Amino acid sequence: MLQPTAIVLQGAFLLVLFLFVAWVVRSTLRDLRRPDEQRAAGPPPADATGIHSAVTAGAAPSGPGDPRLVVERAPGHTPGMEYEVAGGAVLGRGEQAEIRLDDPFASSAHARLVLQGGRVVLEDLGSTNGTFLNEEAVSGPQPLHQGDRVRIGDSEFLFVDS
Amino acid sequence: MSARNRELLGLLPASLLIVAGFGAVFLQEQTQLDNLSLTYGAVFLGLCFAAHLIIRVRLPDADPYLLPIVAVLASIGLVVIYRLNETLARDQAQWFVIGLIAFAATIIFLRDYRVLERYRYLIAAGSLVLLLLPRIPGVGQQANGAYLGISLGPVSFQPAEFAKIGIIIFLASYLRDTRALLVSRKRFGITLPRLKHIGPLLLVWGLAMLMLVFIRDLGSSLMFFGGFLAMLYVATDRLIFPVVGFGLFGIGAWFFASTVGHVGDRVSAWQHPFDPKLYEQIGGSYQIAQSLFAQADGGVWGQGFGQALVSVGDSPILPAAQTDLIYAVIVNELGLIGGIALLLIYVLLIERGFRIAVLARDSFSKLLATGLTTVVALQVFVIVGGVTKVIPLTGVTLPFVSYGGSSIVANFVIVALLLLISDRARREARR
Repeated sequence: MLQPTAIVLQGAFLLVLFLFVAWVVRSTLRDLRRPDEQRAAGPPPADATGIHSAVTAGAAPSGPGDPRLVVERAPGHTPGMEYEVAGGAVLGRGEQAEIRLDDPFASSAHARLVLQGGRVVLEDLGSTNGTFLNEEAVSGPQPLHQGDRVRIGDSEFLFVDS
Repeated sequence: MSARNRELLGLLPASLLIVAGFGAVFLQEQTQLDNLSLTYGAVFLGLCFAAHLIIRVRLPDADPYLLPIVAVLASIGLVVIYRLNETLARDQAQWFVIGLIAFAATIIFLRDYRVLERYRYLIAAGSLVLLLLPRIPGVGQQANGAYLGISLGPVSFQPAEFAKIGIIIFLASYLRDTRALLVSRKRFGITLPRLKHIGPLLLVWGLAMLMLVFIRDLGSSLMFFGGFLAMLYVATDRLIFPVVGFGLFGIGAWFFASTVGHVGDRVSAWQHPFDPKLYEQIGGSYQIAQSLFAQADGGVWGQGFGQALVSVGDSPILPAAQTDLIYAVIVNELGLIGGIALLLIYVLLIERGFRIAVLARDSFSKLLATGLTTVVALQVFVIVGGVTKVIPLTGVTLPFVSYGGSSIVANFVIVALLLLISDRARREARR
């Protein structure tokens, strides 16, 4: 036997549930229409190794036309300078490095670029301060894509592939 | 209105639910309104408020809807468990406090959750050990043919609940490093990753599958594998991985259904729940058939709180009503409309989780949020699908609603991790 008060309370229970759902849905829809929080930060670089784009870019291995590292900012380098990296290169502070870094944060052999299956791959050579690909620390080989940013200490390079 | 004030406002519905729910149950059971109902509401509100304060201090930019959604789910769970058994409700409330402590500890001690990446192999190994524990004689317990729980003295818990978090963390970290390599090689027009790169993934997956065959829990294996595929898909943007993965899972499931007796019984109970022979058989289709009867009996508006026939004397009408069949009890008492409300709230929870993954800026956070959300989503699917005869019934808990300590604590840790990711993502986005 149901008590009338119990029925009222149960109705209130369901009403609160649905009002809650409506409240969250309404706020969510408003967020979607006005996605300030996303737009404000700007999208990640169009072709770079972001979570989706990188992989899509990798879908068509057209073969590197003319892979280069462009200096963005680096002690001892003029911004805009380009290094050919089709044949691979070692980046570091040491004498043997193809791309010399005049950077106190760089190890003598810091990172290297190698051509693997028609694709330039960036690898950290156990450096002290780490190598960053689009501001994420590199651990293990990472294939590079057009527009990727490679940072070692205060030196930053842009990878160009065409 | 700021995010934190919105979160505070969102806790109001949860406390109203507790008061209305407990009030209705009291009225039905004792035909008089007791002050205890209001006390329960106040204590619950206090706990939610404590969680809110922790978030306000430590994670000011975190998603404002996650905690209210969890609070609403937990309050529905407490009301229904209280209605089933007063002692269990008190236990559950205690587990809720412990869950909250785990939640606070995760937020306070894991300020930068990315340190987890450093210990990924340790975490993976630890999770595999946790999965294996229930099979060790002495600590393991068998229930309905599955080895799920372990008991250490007076406490018993289900290690798989915690292992799932560890495995998701490992997969997120591993896929972050290798995702580009997984798709970098193409042969004959299809993506064929080198064995070197996919090997460790296959190894962990194979071990997890093997152990699940050992501990014989189908629900968990679907959760793990589904989470794995979702993360692989998000990491690589290749539809081929989930397609092949589900194919393999289908073959594996068919194989086990026809060879492992315990699994085969579940499948035939699912296909013919009303077969008199299976219905009478011990471990047969009694549970699923009773679940369907209970839900049909609920109708659109439900029978009302306290009306579900859970047991007659000592023989259960709804076996495992407080865990596996809690969804059936809710639909019986609150009707289709109550079931829909509950599922909508889960949809919102999952939407918030995926939104956190979308907002996150670095791949590890994205993959971690995706994996954690997918596992919760699949857990809801496995149990609600089970009791509604969409898939064979296997015993997993309904997150935050079912009775069960490990489940509550593990899910609170998942929510804490999602809030940590969300706080970082939204703070970086605002800058």
